[in-house]
Amino acid sequence: MRFQYILEQAISNLRRNVLVVFAAVVAVLVMLALVFGTIVVRWSIDKDIGRWDDNVRVIAFLSDDLSIEEIDAMQAEIQTWDEVDEVIYFTKSQALEEFRDIFSDQPSLIDIVEEDPSILPASFRIKPAEAADYSAIRDRLVVVPGVSQVSSADEAIDALVERAGHMRAFALWIMVILGAAAVVLIANTIRIAIFARRDEIGIMKLVGAGNWFVRIPFLLEGVIEGVIGAVLAIALVWSVGGSIAALLSTATDGGSISPPTDFMLRQALLLLGFGAGTGLLGSAFGMWGFLRD
Amino acid sequence: MIRLQDVAKVYDGGTVAVRDVDLEISKGEFVFLVGPSGSGKSTLIRLMLRQELPTSGRIWVAGKDITTLPGWKVPLLRRSIGTVFQDFKLLPSKTVHENVAFALEVIGRPKHVIRSQVPQVLKLVGLAAKADRMPNQLSGGEQQRVSIARAFVNRPLILLADEPTGNLDPATSVGIMRLLDRINRTGTTVVMATHDHAIVDAMRRRVVALERGRVIRDQSRGAYQMGAGESVTAGFADGPGGAEA
Repeated sequence: MRFQYILEQAISNLRRNVLVVFAAVVAVLVMLALVFGTIVVRWSIDKDIGRWDDNVRVIAFLSDDLSIEEIDAMQAEIQTWDEVDEVIYFTKSQALEEFRDIFSDQPSLIDIVEEDPSILPASFRIKPAEAADYSAIRDRLVVVPGVSQVSSADEAIDALVERAGHMRAFALWIMVILGAAAVVLIANTIRIAIFARRDEIGIMKLVGAGNWFVRIPFLLEGVIEGVIGAVLAIALVWSVGGSIAALLSTATDGGSISPPTDFMLRQALLLLGFGAGTGLLGSAFGMWGFLRD
Repeated sequence: MIRLQDVAKVYDGGTVAVRDVDLEISKGEFVFLVGPSGSGKSTLIRLMLRQELPTSGRIWVAGKDITTLPGWKVPLLRRSIGTVFQDFKLLPSKTVHENVAFALEVIGRPKHVIRSQVPQVLKLVGLAAKADRMPNQLSGGEQQRVSIARAFVNRPLILLADEPTGNLDPATSVGIMRLLDRINRTGTTVVMATHDHAIVDAMRRRVVALERGRVIRDQSRGAYQMGAGESVTAGFADGPGGAEA
């Protein structure tokens, strides 16, 4: 009976103030949709960095005057470095082939290279143990005799890492600002509900209703608002999440771009908890000092 | 049943509502608190209900020192006290029956108790036939009867009434006083704040007179006379209870 009473009160509170409840739910929805969206985007950036991780190579161009033995010795030495996963020797002809491949639509460029093969030197393609090791490898390579030039995809990697960092800060600020807005809006709906029922609450307190019996319907009201907002946010992000990730991904191979379902489910559950927590906090603020004896 | 010891209440603005109040009310007594507006009657009632804490002094109600009572025990205290106010405080969207049942529902009484207690108490106040009416379909006297039914349905040890006849005409007030007298005769301690001298004179009960927050007179049953109202309403407290309101 009492549980039913409490639930009925919470629901009738919600129905009584449809407009303000709507505002609170939308605030929670927007906040959590952005948080969830950010999580999805972060996932795809991490995934992107992972893809880069696999492809990062430091390229050491070699002087033309090295003998095969010297090259073998250099390769063996570099291979022993801790930062290095793998060293592949790339001959001049392989370089030319790759060049032809890349610039197959620009025959004039290919003509120039074929006339003067020294433009494309032989090189080591070095795979770092970790993507972040590339700069250490580069620093060591520069002083190796016989290495004419070192190049790596460092700028692209840095940009990506930076983007991920910005995304995290952005997500945090959104959570803080919109979270505060949602809490205030929910607190507002609770206060309106308390005001609408102040006579009833006064009588309940006079006849000795327990403090929590009076409070719980309002707490429940806030939690329901938070959970509804969370459910809507999950539905929204789930339906468009894949396209957001695709938009931000640097992948061109069309590989798996949307996060896997179990990842999404875990995040969704977290979000539900977060919505309920926001609602609870909002209710607590709304009731602050209002439902004392 | 109720004991106040050297109680003072000063409100935030510095207004002294009551001071130096020593009062002892025994079980089963019927006590009037009289005095002009602002004399501290309502503050005393609020203090006994623990809607306010005294600035100094101690108050015992039903054997407990309520000035040191922790907040979570206040609801339990209030369950042993019934309250009636000048403005009835009924819920306009609930029927007579629902208004009375509400007091039992919110303290978690089981349904079968509510089903047996509510009609019984409505019969006591003479409103058994109007259980399904809404408050706005009732006269003022009838609404106050509903409010008394709600206060009494949980069989409290104490009934506190703050100007219960303040909004009612004299004839209707007589009916309400009969009802309070009947409730008092079931053993319930009744404390009633009023400035209606006619009622006080006619009831011949203990009268505590307040002025500017102090008790200026505390006279026991029958010893208190004020004005010439006695001949008009004499003896109505002993008449049969009914629904003439």
